[in-house]
Amino acid sequence: MSLETGRWYPVASAHDLPHGHIYRTQLGLHELAIWRDGGGGVNIWEDRCPHRGVRLSLGAIIGDELRCAYHAWHFASGSGACRFIPAQPDRKPAAAIRAVVWPVAEADGLIWTGQDPQGAPPVLGAGEVLRAIPVGRGADSIANALSALPGLKLVLQPQGPDRCTIRGIAESLSPRAADTALEALRRKLEAAPC
Amino acid sequence: MIDRVLWDDWHVVAESDWLRAGETLETTLLEVPLAIDRKGPDITAVRRDGAPLHQALRYGFVWVCLGTPAHDIVDIPEFSEPGRCIVTGGSFGVHVAGPRVIENFLDLGHLGYVHAGYLGAEPDTAVPPYEVRPLPEGGIIATGCKVYQPRSSPAASDGFVVDYVYKVLRPLTTCLYKANPVDPARDDVIYLFVQPVDEEHSRAHMLVLFLEESTDAAELRWFQQLIFLQDKPILENQRPKRLPIGPGMEMPILADKSSVAYRRWLLELGLRYGTIGVPDALPDPVLV
Repeated sequence: MSLETGRWYPVASAHDLPHGHIYRTQLGLHELAIWRDGGGGVNIWEDRCPHRGVRLSLGAIIGDELRCAYHAWHFASGSGACRFIPAQPDRKPAAAIRAVVWPVAEADGLIWTGQDPQGAPPVLGAGEVLRAIPVGRGADSIANALSALPGLKLVLQPQGPDRCTIRGIAESLSPRAADTALEALRRKLEAAPC
Repeated sequence: MIDRVLWDDWHVVAESDWLRAGETLETTLLEVPLAIDRKGPDITAVRRDGAPLHQALRYGFVWVCLGTPAHDIVDIPEFSEPGRCIVTGGSFGVHVAGPRVIENFLDLGHLGYVHAGYLGAEPDTAVPPYEVRPLPEGGIIATGCKVYQPRSSPAASDGFVVDYVYKVLRPLTTCLYKANPVDPARDDVIYLFVQPVDEEHSRAHMLVLFLEESTDAAELRWFQQLIFLQDKPILENQRPKRLPIGPGMEMPILADKSSVAYRRWLLELGLRYGTIGVPDALPDPVLV
């Protein structure tokens, strides 16, 4: 499925982002690198260094910067602007050199992004964040099946035509029961013909 | 569609010493499956589909040309020079297009990070200006490259500033002349031959010709393999897997002068296989 402009999609759990870790995921066909800076701010960037195309998720977080693994260019939290190039330490990097930055919202224990998303992400309410469940089926084809699970508030992260990830919170089920129910659902969905 | 410039070129497809009598080595060149056999001293490469090919044994490698050879196999004068320890550095499968592997070999800015403690180190990461020129017979040469290296070879025990000269001789053949701590008059030399398996898969074959006072074969081979295996995960995480050679697709800096010249040369050749961004308006190269 293609992404709808204006809409928020979940792409990570807040707890996927301990300081120093770069979480790698995909939304639609876009590869993303998600990380938290030293002050707690979340960044969602295209997972590709503008210099030579290496995935930024291979890099390292130092303070409020991500350093690419290939040439250690420093990219600033927030703007994605390149602040320092070790190969030419005395020159200020050109303003055009920056990571491609995606919108960010953090709500109800999930991290959200989208293409020009409007307003706030959907409200899930209080509850424990579920383990993300990857499913080998497109988001469109499984959306209806999700309503069959009471006690859970579920949302989908589309990942291309035949893959998506179920995310959400447990409202009234225990996280363990929710996990068991979602795994059973995943097996059922993947057993059905495409 | 495979560009003539690759189809009519010689490519390394195996190391001769790896072939054992009675065993067939299967490999792929430009999407064409090959089988290579050794019977006594004789090594034979054939296409699995039975079509003819050109083959040669040289420098410890099996070479194949699928089309009509447009050039001789590259000349390596250091191979017959006395006093050199000459080893193949191993053959590594890499899930990326061949031109990306060549460009990585030319890259000076990554040495202090990807090869930290060996070929570079913080804080000596600045890449001083160097010269790049076209070679008269095609290809490029980069001269005057200088890198501070903590351990530039198995022979080096102290760090020093190493002088480098790079040449790109063919679209997928490159070499490096590297000053060494033993004899200032002669360089260590490393050749890299990239076998294009298909547009996004390669095999990297290395030939290392170092001064023998300084090292032995096992140590040299270990060192080159260590260095290449530091590059492999970087190469396999480059997106797209094919090398963007059109304008504005990736952002180079001054330190990338040789990479820029390499991309420009490939663009002049109109090389489409393993690259992206060659404008459709360019005259079509002859394709097979």
